[in-house]
Amino acid sequence: MHTLELSNVDSGYNSSTVLHNVNFKISEPSIYVVLGPNGAGKTTLFRTISGILKPSAGKVLFDGVSIFASKEARRKMNYLSHFNAVPEEMTVYGALKFYENIEGGNADEVLDLLSLGELRDKKVSDLSQGQKKRVSIAKVFLRERDIYLLDEPTSNLDPAVSKEIRDILLKLSRDRIVLYSSHNLYEARDVGTYLILIKKGKVVLYDKISNVKSREYRVGIKASQDISKFVDAKFEGGYYILNVSTPEDAGLVLRELVQKGVLVTEMRQLDNPLQELFEDEGKVGA
Amino acid sequence: MSTRTIFSSDSGVVFAKRGISLSKSYVILGVALSLVGIILSNLFHALNSLNLINLTPSTSGPAIESVFPLVGVPIMVLSALAFTTPVLLLYVYDKNNGVLEYFLSLGMDQSDVYRGYLKAALLLASALVVFEVAVNLGISLALGGITFITLEVSALTPVMAIPDVAFAMIIMMAFSSLQKQRVGSNQPLGIAIGVLIVLPTYVLPLALPTYAIFIDFLVAGVIVVLSVVSFLLASRLISREKLLP
Repeated sequence: MHTLELSNVDSGYNSSTVLHNVNFKISEPSIYVVLGPNGAGKTTLFRTISGILKPSAGKVLFDGVSIFASKEARRKMNYLSHFNAVPEEMTVYGALKFYENIEGGNADEVLDLLSLGELRDKKVSDLSQGQKKRVSIAKVFLRERDIYLLDEPTSNLDPAVSKEIRDILLKLSRDRIVLYSSHNLYEARDVGTYLILIKKGKVVLYDKISNVKSREYRVGIKASQDISKFVDAKFEGGYYILNVSTPEDAGLVLRELVQKGVLVTEMRQLDNPLQELFEDEGKVGA
Repeated sequence: MSTRTIFSSDSGVVFAKRGISLSKSYVILGVALSLVGIILSNLFHALNSLNLINLTPSTSGPAIESVFPLVGVPIMVLSALAFTTPVLLLYVYDKNNGVLEYFLSLGMDQSDVYRGYLKAALLLASALVVFEVAVNLGISLALGGITFITLEVSALTPVMAIPDVAFAMIIMMAFSSLQKQRVGSNQPLGIAIGVLIVLPTYVLPLALPTYAIFIDFLVAGVIVVLSVVSFLLASRLISREKLLP
């Protein structure tokens, strides 16, 4: 089992410090969702962990070895940045072969993995943003790594491809550490096991996502009849909307409606508890 | 295969090929300037061989005609700068595209990265300079024998061109944010820097023919020193942050 530990890390660019005294330790293979508003320091965190940026203070340790002091340690991780980092003058296959020559792996295998066969001989510069992103992701999977650092991997991708990527990551996370930043809170909740919340360069929350609870849950119900006479609900946008304190309370409401002979066709949580984290972490109970 | 292996073996060839495929116009310009330099270096020798002029030693010092071939040297230096500009443009292009950042994430140091591009530029410059020297000597031989000034031109061209290209590359990689981003249609600052250093060799040999050789070798010496110093300072000048998009 591998460990990644950040100890009192300050990091940034030239004289500007972006990360302040960041501390956390990861020792379990899983998907760790890194959340935070724009400019919070997510990219700087990934760049620091991957050894691109040297921390101005503190240490980043992989299996107890400073990643900045050891090229070998850095080669055990791979980083997908916002930028595609794919030579655009090459064909898709040529670009993957280019990286295959540098880092090893098998370009043909990742072509299949990311369903890029049809684009194989197309020039990267002729691809759509989503297609370029797929090629960029493909290069990250050329060689197996122990840690994957993925900065918004599903941005620009259509839902079907996003799901494919999430499935690959879920499979990888069985025995590898995956750090994953996303602005899509629903995706973050679906794919992640742990949450690392960053604000103004500081880690303000590091916990299991299942432990992140809302003060109040907004529940939408579609039913065969008007349920407002049974429960305190308002009809808005096709749903009867009610507020409950816990998910268990929502279950009790459902049971009450069923007992009264109401046919409930849909029941869903309308807000994402992670949404509150962006607004005010003080509201969140963990 | 480790990342180190590929970057210490054939990365120069890979980057040279990529650079050329990105911007062929500078390659054509480089070859064209190279031919101009070769023509200027051999012009008076050719005219003399055809008996159109008579090159005779002057008692008051060398005549302009006899040092005129030296004018071809800075032209050939300029040709090397133009010829290697695609590598410089590739560096900026890769930086903006996140390729350099990705190299760092693969465990490379900044020196592994910039040396790959520097090697590519020096490979291209060397190929062109070897061509220029070979053609110069060949023409001189064909015109009746290799002259002393031809040997001087053949010695000065690599001594000036290779370090000048190295210096311009390192400085431009260190200050690549000054480089315009679009490939092919811009006027790279690297050429201007490289030309600026050899500027005295464009005019002074003709203005002061007596000291022409001395001036050229002095400038060559300065360029060599500048390139060595810039190479020794390269890891400081080109920090990891400068490789980020």
